[in-house]
Amino acid sequence: MNDTSVLDIQGLSGGYSLNRPVLHDISLQVQPGEMVGLIGLNGAGKSTTMKHILGLMNPQKGDIRVKGKKREEDSAAYHGALAFVPESPLLYEEMTVREHLEFTARAYDVSQKDYEERAKKLAQIFRMEDKIDTLSTHLSKGMRQKVMIMCAFVARPSLYIIDEPFLGLDPLGIRSLLDFMVELKQGGSSILLSSHILSTIENYCDRFIVLHQGKVIAQGSLQEIAQQAGQPGVPLEQLFYSLVQGRD
Amino acid sequence: MMDLSELRLKRRSRFWGEVLPYLGYVIQSGVAVLTLFLIIAFSAWYTSLVQHIPAGLPIRWIMLILFVPLTVNSSFRTYMQSADTVFLLPQESRMNQYFRASWTSGVIYKMIGVTLVFMVSWLLYFRADVDPKPFWLFLILLYALKIVASIGSWKEQQMVSKRAYSSYRLLRYAVIALALAAWLWQPAGKSLIFIALLVAAYMASLKIPSRHLVAWERLIALEKIHSGRVMLVLGWFVDVPGRQQRVYQRKWLSWAGNNIPWKPQAAYRYLLTKSFIRSDILGIVLRAAVLGALLVWWTRGTMLGSGIYLFFIFLIGVQMSSLLRYHSESFWLTVYPVPAESRHTNAVLLAFQIQLMFALLMWLPMLGALKSQMSTVFGTLVVGVVVCALFRFFLSRKVPKDEDDE
Repeated sequence: MNDTSVLDIQGLSGGYSLNRPVLHDISLQVQPGEMVGLIGLNGAGKSTTMKHILGLMNPQKGDIRVKGKKREEDSAAYHGALAFVPESPLLYEEMTVREHLEFTARAYDVSQKDYEERAKKLAQIFRMEDKIDTLSTHLSKGMRQKVMIMCAFVARPSLYIIDEPFLGLDPLGIRSLLDFMVELKQGGSSILLSSHILSTIENYCDRFIVLHQGKVIAQGSLQEIAQQAGQPGVPLEQLFYSLVQGRD
Repeated sequence: MMDLSELRLKRRSRFWGEVLPYLGYVIQSGVAVLTLFLIIAFSAWYTSLVQHIPAGLPIRWIMLILFVPLTVNSSFRTYMQSADTVFLLPQESRMNQYFRASWTSGVIYKMIGVTLVFMVSWLLYFRADVDPKPFWLFLILLYALKIVASIGSWKEQQMVSKRAYSSYRLLRYAVIALALAAWLWQPAGKSLIFIALLVAAYMASLKIPSRHLVAWERLIALEKIHSGRVMLVLGWFVDVPGRQQRVYQRKWLSWAGNNIPWKPQAAYRYLLTKSFIRSDILGIVLRAAVLGALLVWWTRGTMLGSGIYLFFIFLIGVQMSSLLRYHSESFWLTVYPVPAESRHTNAVLLAFQIQLMFALLMWLPMLGALKSQMSTVFGTLVVGVVVCALFRFFLSRKVPKDEDDE
């Protein structure tokens, strides 16, 4: 275990049923200021891993620590240190964009002044200024996804768990998101990002964790994974293909 | 080939199969006793009213106010689902088969309601009106207008333009109100001719706007509202999981909640306040409060007035108690660092404050009797505040479901 890790998972096994765990002895860390790509085929266990981190599922074995704290030790500190962007937007139908941001800021104890500055900047970056007082039910799917992203970013925790954030976003939205993630990373925040668009995340993530059938089959920087796959200089997409092919 | 009427029947059985098990709990919750009590109380009051009809009772206005909403309101349970836009779309040209039963049951059940109310109100109308219309002719006219309103409502749902949809809804209310008013105030023959012409013009006008063959999205949205209403009513008595709330924008109230203290302990109150101001519950509570205030004004200074006042506070308290069930399955409340214990305390406090506010507002009309009945007026307020406090006490003792599970 590394004391400086923002996220530290040791020997995690878990799933929906005790007899059939989805995750098998997973260990991974995310360091401060690091963006880590969690990649795998459908059903590899990416979302289940994230659910365990978020506390939506309890590990059958192993430990999860966020900033050195387990959820059962200090739930408020644990949850206060992370923000989540789900694959499909989950919004309160009865709240406007602004109210979602404000609720998040209040929950994360962000000062009113910081909230106002951040909300203004995020609305500008994601081009949502004219939708700020619109109810979430009246937004398109891409806009709803932007609200999810804005909510996570208004909280400014130490760790972001981001699941397939590019789904439904327009090209400008994807660019804004990537740029903002880089800015956050430079500011010391950590990001665990899951995506199937490997060509996009290849240039942004510092490290990658390859999950296959609930196990970590490779992890490290692009070069390290290329070495593990025995294919130096090859793009991530091809490396991933080589790593998972024939493992069924 | 897919049997569409069979599909609707299956969906209907599934929906009511989910609802029926809750009815036992509803009856156990005392609603049967309360309903029986209300029927007995109403019967006693109504009998006395029919026997001693006050002079100058505006019976035509009463009949108009009673029957316009009953005749004009039309809704159809289609049991449609979001996935229908994909899986039933290829059957669009045959969807009449599916909707036939929706239409028939939508009209027939409401006609039974109209008949019941008409038979009860007839006793009063027949005695109070100087020139009452014939019983059968009146009832047949109500049936005919009900069918016209149902046709209008069904066609409105198919209209392409949202503006046409809203305008024709308004037109339907106007046509039915005008027809009923003509019937109540004018001689039968003359008014029937007028109604026939009015209805013919209305039916012809329904042909003007362009319509979808099946307005999939609107029908699905309306079905969500209808099923949500059933669940909402059940939710007054039992915990119904995952019920869909209808959302109203209510821009005029968007300021509410903005001054809540800026701290995590009050974050849930912020969410709850925003949810409440855009919920069905607020509409119900507002209507109850307005009706309560009017009745209190009418009976001010009497024991009946105090009873009505307390009954409406109780009714609002029951409605407000549903705040405790809001967001019980919210994903974000699991992920966000909102203090777990703050949810229950915030919900109880908000429900109490809103109930208390309405208790004070509904009491104001009683001040009209302050000079003659000062002790009754202030005594009623004190009892009203005690009722609110009792609600708060019992709600605070209610253990939230998740804590109970733990």
